[in-house]
Amino acid sequence: MEKACININELINVFSTKQGSIYQSDKLNCFFVDFGGKFARYNCLSLRKLKKVVEDIDIDALLLNTHKADFELVTFNGCEHIYLLNACEIVALKELLQGTFTMFKLNHLISDCLHRLVV
Amino acid sequence: MKDLMRIKCLISQDIETLLNQQIKKEAHSSSLYLSMSSWCDQNGFDFSADYFAKQSEEERMHQLKLFKYVLDMGGNAISPEVNGIKTDFAGFREVFEDALEAEIAITQSFKNIYAKCQNEQDFVTMEFLNWFLKEQREEEYKARRALELFEVIGEEGTGRWEIDKHVNKITYSEQ
Repeated sequence: MEKACININELINVFSTKQGSIYQSDKLNCFFVDFGGKFARYNCLSLRKLKKVVEDIDIDALLLNTHKADFELVTFNGCEHIYLLNACEIVALKELLQGTFTMFKLNHLISDCLHRLVV
Repeated sequence: MKDLMRIKCLISQDIETLLNQQIKKEAHSSSLYLSMSSWCDQNGFDFSADYFAKQSEEERMHQLKLFKYVLDMGGNAISPEVNGIKTDFAGFREVFEDALEAEIAITQSFKNIYAKCQNEQDFVTMEFLNWFLKEQREEEYKARRALELFEVIGEEGTGRWEIDKHVNKITYSEQ
């Protein structure tokens, strides 16, 4: 999905690094991953799947295997998006996703304190 | 900012991963018991074959119970791949030794998940796991009692035939 189709002002920046950003849309109940020249929409389940797929990549093996290109296709069943990433980009995407999920945890704690546990 | 991840799923990703690993372990146990049932049947231990077949069904039921819980909580339950099932045993006694060892491993695994839940204050999953912890009391008791028959009756003469007859009669009562 192109950035032009979405009102960027309605998106909340969850986490950013130099290589990319992840936004949340409270209106659409989804996330947008801005990485590697793509601006891709994910729901909760698919974002979790993307994180798992990226975390499962064995970067050491990727770099040490001389019979294979140093690139990896990152996608999963049912996913509309495919990333072709080198080792550095995989590390960057992993960092972006891990940071995002840490922010989700933080947001959950804050939501609990501010809204759910108020007496 | 909406707490979208929490809205969609009650359990954390770590707990979901542990529960999926447990689903795989239960599936492995179910297959192992079925393999034990097969070995016992082939070697003329009919009652033990029935006993292990029932145990296999129970483990399958545990697997499905965990599977349903993960889905009900909004998680991604993964149908596990099961391989490396032991199909041959050195003797009648080894079957029961392996069965007890498998139950001990399952109990330990549940304890680890429980500890993680405690750490995360996931009381909902802890309450769900209580049923399994109670079940493990029975499972370990039955496996231990079965193995003890080898000491009580002895394997000599018609010993194994006697043991086989008694295995199906082992029951657990809290009182």
